[in-house]
Formats: sequence, structure tokens, C-alpha cells
Amino acid sequence: MKLRNRVGLGKIQLDMTPMIDVVFQLMIFFMCTLKVTEPEGDFDISMPLGAAAPSAVTEAELPPFKVRMIADAEGNLNALSFNGVNLGGGEQAFAKLNSEVFRAIHALKAIGPDQQEKQEVEIDPDYNLHYRNIISAIGSCSGRMGPNGIPVRYISKIKFAPRREP
Amino acid sequence: MKFKPADVAPPELDMTPMIDIVFQLITFFMVINKFDQAEADERVTLPKDQLAVPPAVQRKDSFLLNFGYLRDQKGNLTNPEPFFFFADEQVPLAQVRQRLRQEAQFYQTIGTDMKEVVVEIRADADVKSGMVQELIQMCQEDGIGFQRFALKATQKMIE
Repeated sequence: MKLRNRVGLGKIQLDMTPMIDVVFQLMIFFMCTLKVTEPEGDFDISMPLGAAAPSAVTEAELPPFKVRMIADAEGNLNALSFNGVNLGGGEQAFAKLNSEVFRAIHALKAIGPDQQEKQEVEIDPDYNLHYRNIISAIGSCSGRMGPNGIPVRYISKIKFAPRREP
Repeated sequence: MKFKPADVAPPELDMTPMIDIVFQLITFFMVINKFDQAEADERVTLPKDQLAVPPAVQRKDSFLLNFGYLRDQKGNLTNPEPFFFFADEQVPLAQVRQRLRQEAQFYQTIGTDMKEVVVEIRADADVKSGMVQELIQMCQEDGIGFQRFALKATQKMIE
């Protein structure tokens, strides 16, 4: 069988225009809509119904760690205490609180391996204390950031004491 | 001088580039859009903490409460009282009970266990702590009955 010479198979020319269109459009879009937002996280608060009133402590469960936070007239942290021990005020108080909680959970591990998971922290702030201090206290009790960026957890059960009147 | 009429074919519009662009943009929107933060109100300035990490598992049943101050462009308070922001509506703490009741009724109607519903509180860093405690107490009242709470904060990066 005789085949005819195929004609018209020239070199395929790649049209770059659509790709450039897309790249430019995406670039303009990125530039227009870029919104730098910090990631949001949260802390779980354990407040089962009926637990607002101080409950009787059985032998099996330990009393909660108590964090008392006293505010000045402007709502800033004036004094912070952990289980009755005064840790002072300002930002340094939270670093001290973090160390105290670490020491306390270290002592808990000697009692039992699962005591750390059962342990609660009760936060008792003045009414007019700025909320940012509550988050700092919860963060200090929750753990610390490890050197590799992975959080080291101390206590996960956190609750509020009954509200103080203004 | 005489010109020959040229054979002009009707121009063919190639739709491929436009379709490329449209599909790419749709895909991009789908990937980058953070639907979980769509309800976050920009008027609330969250406190910061290193350990405020996003939950590992997406919560199934949760609703968000934005609690903050009205501020001017310079960031000064225009009203000393904080409000809950529901879309365009601002509700003071004393009147939020009705909203909480409606939310609770919704979850009860669809048969959700109230122990599973998480109330996510986005409170401003300058709000009084007692007000947040008051809100939690309201959430636990008879006829409302929420039990799980999450306090939102911005994740502070290590310096």
C-alpha cells in the first residue's frame, strides 16, 4: 500500500499568553486581598453545671490549685497568688506562676501517674481585672512552649471560682 | 487602482484562557478561604498567649460570641460599656440572655446534647474579667445550660 507523504505537521508553537494572564491575575489578586492575620487559638474551660459552688473534696481527688488575682483601680494586675503564696504583680508574676505550677505537678507525679490529668486549677480574679490577665494566667497554668515549638502541657482542667462582686 | 476583496474569516474567540483563569480563581478561593474565622469580629482585640493554639480537631457543635468595645479610628473607646457583636447589632451584657436562650433552644430542637456544644468566647483584652464570668454564669442558667467553653486568644509567636 502506498502512503502519501503527510504534510502540514509543522512545529507546534506554545502560546504563553494564557499562562501569563493567569499568573498576573493571581498576583494582582494576592496583592489586593492579602490580609495579615495572626492565628487564633483557645483554651478550654471546664465548667460543668452545678460546679460553681465549692465542692467537698474526697480523699481520691486533690483540691484544685487556687490562683487568686487582685486588680488595682485601673484593672491591671496588682498581685497574684498561687495556693496562698504571693507571686507579686506585673508580667513577672506569670513567669513565677508557670514555675510554681511546674513544681506542683512534679510533686503530683510522685503521688500517682494520673494525678496530673485529674488536677484542676481554679482562677479567682477581681471583677474589674482586665481579661488579658486571665488569659496569661490560664496560659501559665496550661504549660510552656518547648524549645522545638511544641507545647509542654501542665494542666488542662481549668475553671473559674464563683464571681466576685464589683 | 483596483483591490481584490480579501477572504476574511470570522474571528474565532478562544475561551480556553478565560476558563483557565476562572477555574484557577475558584480553586484558589476554595483553598485559601478561612471559613472558620468568618464570624470573628475585627472590633475585638484579643489577648495574646503563646499556648493559644488552634484545636487539633474541628469542633462539631460550637457558636461564637464576640465581646468587645466600640472604638474610633485611633483606637480610643467611644463607649465605656462593652457589647456583644451580632452582625450589625450590638447587645450589652445585660441583654444577651435572650440570645443565649435562642441558641440553646436551637441546639435542643435539633437534638444536640448540650454537653457537646462549645461556647467560644472572643472577648476583648480590656474587658473586665467579672463580665466574662458573668457571661459564663448566664450560659449555665436554667433554660440555657451550656457547659463547655473555650476562651479565644491570639497565638503569640516566640520572639
